[in-house]
Amino acid sequence: MNPLIFTTILMTVLLGTMIVMMSSHWLMIWIGFEMNLLAIIPILMKKYNPRTMEASTKYFLTQATASMLLMMAIIINLMHSGQWTITKVFNPTASIIMTSALAMKLGLTPFHFWVPEVTQGISLTSGLILLTWQKLAPMSILYQISPSINLNILLTMAVLSILVGGWGGLNQTQLRKIMAYSSIAHMGWMTAVLVYSPTLTMLNMLIYIMMTLTMFMLFIHSSSTTTLSLSHTWNKTPLTTTLILITLLSMGGLPPLSGFMPKWMIIQELTKNSSIILPTLMAIMALLNLYFYMRLTYSTSLTMFPSTNNMKMKWQFETKRITLLPPLIVMSSLLLPLTPMLSILD
Amino acid sequence: MMTYIVFILSVIFVVSFVGFSSKPSPIYGGLVLIVSGGVGCGIIMNFGGSFLGLMVFLIYLGGMLVVFGYTTAMATEQYPEVWVSNTTVMGVFLLGLLMEVMLVLYVLKSEEVGVVFEFSGVGDWAIYDTGDSGVFSEEIMGVAALYSYGAWVVIVTGWSLFVGVLVILEVTRGD
Repeated sequence: MNPLIFTTILMTVLLGTMIVMMSSHWLMIWIGFEMNLLAIIPILMKKYNPRTMEASTKYFLTQATASMLLMMAIIINLMHSGQWTITKVFNPTASIIMTSALAMKLGLTPFHFWVPEVTQGISLTSGLILLTWQKLAPMSILYQISPSINLNILLTMAVLSILVGGWGGLNQTQLRKIMAYSSIAHMGWMTAVLVYSPTLTMLNMLIYIMMTLTMFMLFIHSSSTTTLSLSHTWNKTPLTTTLILITLLSMGGLPPLSGFMPKWMIIQELTKNSSIILPTLMAIMALLNLYFYMRLTYSTSLTMFPSTNNMKMKWQFETKRITLLPPLIVMSSLLLPLTPMLSILD
Repeated sequence: MMTYIVFILSVIFVVSFVGFSSKPSPIYGGLVLIVSGGVGCGIIMNFGGSFLGLMVFLIYLGGMLVVFGYTTAMATEQYPEVWVSNTTVMGVFLLGLLMEVMLVLYVLKSEEVGVVFEFSGVGDWAIYDTGDSGVFSEEIMGVAALYSYGAWVVIVTGWSLFVGVLVILEVTRGD
């Protein structure tokens, strides 16, 4: 793609999300979503093969439907409250429709079906933008309407997302689909605590973005999209096998690593609000996630996975330079001791 | 009948939307789009928006739909789908018509209709000429406000349309 056009379109993706996050008029928020959707389609289609075109079409159809539902909720809100300002949505119908629309944009169950298929059909860099940057805009709107969201619907969607994210990822060997199911599960964790403490949603979003960024950068560095090709990392850059191990365990939420911080805080906040069964179920279902991360670490870092003999003597022609990988790795594994700093957020 | 003209126009509006949503060939979709554009113009004009109705005819029908018609004529197929050619298309069209007829009967018969918002029978569709807004027409003031207070909206929508063209060119360019 022409570099000037590519830069313009990438900046428009950024501009769309910025407009969503900083507008106070519902119509501008909708325009921001549409601008974001329109501009990310050529980024998803950077390589011209039928897979990317199919993935971009699926993404466009689901997100356009979600935008239509969002517009309907905005208009119902306008009819009942007579104004366009972003506040909590007072009408229950509009609130439910808006929550469903934003859940479709995020990829929460039961609207999760597009996430693995779209993530699988596009390149690793496009998948990175899809799973991290595109989650910011809907989450910011959910944050702003959080006082009025119907608790039953949101918690049902959150718990089902954690379940689907865990179970769906079990049978996958393609790394992009694994990251997609991981994204579904993390979105479930984020929306579960949204009504109780939106600050923790933002904390979880921040840590999730750091960890997903790190994982994708490591995959791009070794140009691997399947478990099998990831298991050859010991031959290309042995150091990254350890880094993959640490980051995957952090994503699974294991204690001395940063991924534990959001889960710990979320479980604490939920139990403070006298719901015990829910966080227990969520924590148990996060074990499913941990299982397939462990399987990746087993084949990559803990064992020398069986491969043909010519795979054991690989030429590395040029090392890809990945920006910001060391700071990202440090941040996605070592932030847990900073947890007491969260008290400044209130 | 003139008191309920908005209601009648809205029924024709929905029927033409059903006409192109049942997915015949795009040429026939464009045909009912012209009808729906004209009828929508009538609805807007009944609410006092004569300028906006003119915009619908000039820009929407006379600009965008003409370009759409030309591009569809270039990409047309040998045997285009009509509403009666394919069982599926005819089935969906009849289903949509049935839903609209049931809704119209519900509105005409019952005293109050409350689906998402409430309006009481057909009486709410009649436009009464109350509320004298003085010398200035409301919609012209709205258009003027778009270019003064709403400058940011103009910039954002203008940029979206520009990027839309870039995106479409990029997507159809291929390799």
